[in-house]
Amino acid sequence: MHILLIEDDDAVATFIEKGLAGHGHSVDRANEGRQGRDMGMGKTHDVLIVDRMLPNLDGLSIISQLRQAGVNTPVLILSALGEVDDRVSGLKAGGDDYLVKPFAFDELLARVEALRRRQESIPRTRLKVADLEMDLLSHKVTRGGQNFNLQPREYRLLEYLMKHAGQVVTRTMLLENVWDYHFDPQTNVIDVHISRLRQKIDKEFEQQLLTTVRGVGYMLQDPADA
Amino acid sequence: MIFNRIFTTYTFRFMFSYVLVLGVAVFIMLAAVYALYSYEQFSRVQDSIEHELDQLQRHYQIAGAEGMQAYMASENERASISRFFYILVDADGRKIAGDLETWPSYREFGRGWLAFEREVLAWDGEAEHREFMARTRMMDDGRQLLVARHYSDLISNAKLMLRMLARGMLITIILGVIGGAWTSLTMLREVEAINRAVRAIMEGDLSERIPITGRGGDMEVLVLNFNSLLDRIQALMAGVRQVSDNIAHDLRTPLTRLRNHLSSLEQHCKPENREEVQAMLAEADGLLSTFNGLLRIAQVESGHRRAGFASVDLVAIVRDVVELYEPLAQDKQQNLQLSVLTDRLDIVGDRDLLFQAIANVLDNAIKYTPDAGHVRMVLRRDGQTGVIEVSDDGPGIPEEKYDKVFERFYRVEASRGQQPGNGLGLSLVSAVLKLHEGKIRLGRANPGLRVSLQFPL
Repeated sequence: MHILLIEDDDAVATFIEKGLAGHGHSVDRANEGRQGRDMGMGKTHDVLIVDRMLPNLDGLSIISQLRQAGVNTPVLILSALGEVDDRVSGLKAGGDDYLVKPFAFDELLARVEALRRRQESIPRTRLKVADLEMDLLSHKVTRGGQNFNLQPREYRLLEYLMKHAGQVVTRTMLLENVWDYHFDPQTNVIDVHISRLRQKIDKEFEQQLLTTVRGVGYMLQDPADA
Repeated sequence: MIFNRIFTTYTFRFMFSYVLVLGVAVFIMLAAVYALYSYEQFSRVQDSIEHELDQLQRHYQIAGAEGMQAYMASENERASISRFFYILVDADGRKIAGDLETWPSYREFGRGWLAFEREVLAWDGEAEHREFMARTRMMDDGRQLLVARHYSDLISNAKLMLRMLARGMLITIILGVIGGAWTSLTMLREVEAINRAVRAIMEGDLSERIPITGRGGDMEVLVLNFNSLLDRIQALMAGVRQVSDNIAHDLRTPLTRLRNHLSSLEQHCKPENREEVQAMLAEADGLLSTFNGLLRIAQVESGHRRAGFASVDLVAIVRDVVELYEPLAQDKQQNLQLSVLTDRLDIVGDRDLLFQAIANVLDNAIKYTPDAGHVRMVLRRDGQTGVIEVSDDGPGIPEEKYDKVFERFYRVEASRGQQPGNGLGLSLVSAVLKLHEGKIRLGRANPGLRVSLQFPL
């Protein structure tokens, strides 16, 4: 993936760049707003990572200007803590995801990779991971010909996992996208939902599709692709 | 209730001793007035007797016994309540002139003054027993003159005076008591008002102050002092909070860096070390989550989140919370029951924070309820209040700890070490409720705890 990182804090930028490079992504860096906007206009990147507070032109203005110019590259907004945590205004300005500093690198990586997938996703009516299939129109889920009866939330959880098959998704990402709440569960309540889903789609099968990535989150993956 | 309290107040006790001292002082003063009055009256009578003696002596020297008798007659013709009685006797005690039959047998009471009693005819012809005061004088020729005056009018005047003074004292004391009660009632009301205000502030928002009446005086000084005391308390609390928030804020970045290092170490370390690194990661995550919790509370308390307030339906949020946590309860074979007794409960608020607060309460209930226990959740409308009640079967919280559990890092002794948690969950709930101008009430659910979240609609 080709990623544009607009961040004025050198330590943070280096840390992100190193990490992303370590996972096989190439990173362009801009350390102030105008330069970042001009680089973004080139539409040569797969994902933009934009800090909210930047010299010359702030992050949200960059995004609105890019969107007005017809640049639809997915944007992950970074926000320093202590600023008003206003996810809504960030997303309204045209951002696609929002992450508060400091963050675990795994969280950033998972979100950046999820953004690329979002960009690639063209309207589909069927999702398929190995022999697990989901019909988005009839809401039918089958594996190896066996039909599953999923609760609405389980269905949404599986749908999200299947759309991001092969990617690590974090618990926070699941809470935000499947439950649509941005909050901090005191207990790993998500684990319980995952293990229920696993009971249904994995238990009686030899191949385990839904795996736990320790310390990060979960991944639904066709073992043949691993 | 308030009347019972009057008698125990400091003000009343003060007024009581005040009335006592006042009574004694008034008594002493009135006694002195009475003594002076009586003394004055008697010396006037004595002066008049002396004057009469002088007059008689002068007439006697000029015109002898006849001249004196003529003067007496002219004197007695003048109508007067207090007439004088005279007698002139020779050296052997024989009466020569006067309107007293005989020389009276008197007793002396000092400085030449004499007293005796005699029957006299009153104005209506009745005989009356009267006390007389008298003085004698020796004439040049050895005859003796006695002038007497009865003084019962003085005594009745003095008695009247005494009665008036006694009543005056009674009235003074009654007025003093009434004044004392009234003053102490007024003071008590003001003190009670201050007490109420202080209690309300300590229970609720520490940033509020006792209203100032503007009437000035000691009470206002007291209120001002109370208010500056509250300023100090608030500043100190804010200071402590600020320090812990700053620590959390400043340590978060290095801690995150540490976590990231551990995370990349985990991927490259020898397999035999992996478990240890993972334990370190979990430890770092725990620390980060505590810091995040602290900072989230600080952020909620700062009130910035109000900017994002929108109309939200509590019913929908509660249903979502229950849906999220139901599997957790089922894993413990608990019976999680939700009763929604209203259609919608629309309030203006922050959807994510409300979800967080309700989730924290339900999470606690599930955590502390034993396996196969019951957790009940009720959502209802109570007039202009939306109420969310969560009751559990757990060990509950001792009533004296109710206030404590909302403090940061406070954990009920019994739960320390038994249940995971950082002691911030209920602090956050409390902060969120405060942000929404709601209230949180704890109570007993027999056997467990009942948490009631109340939101103004």
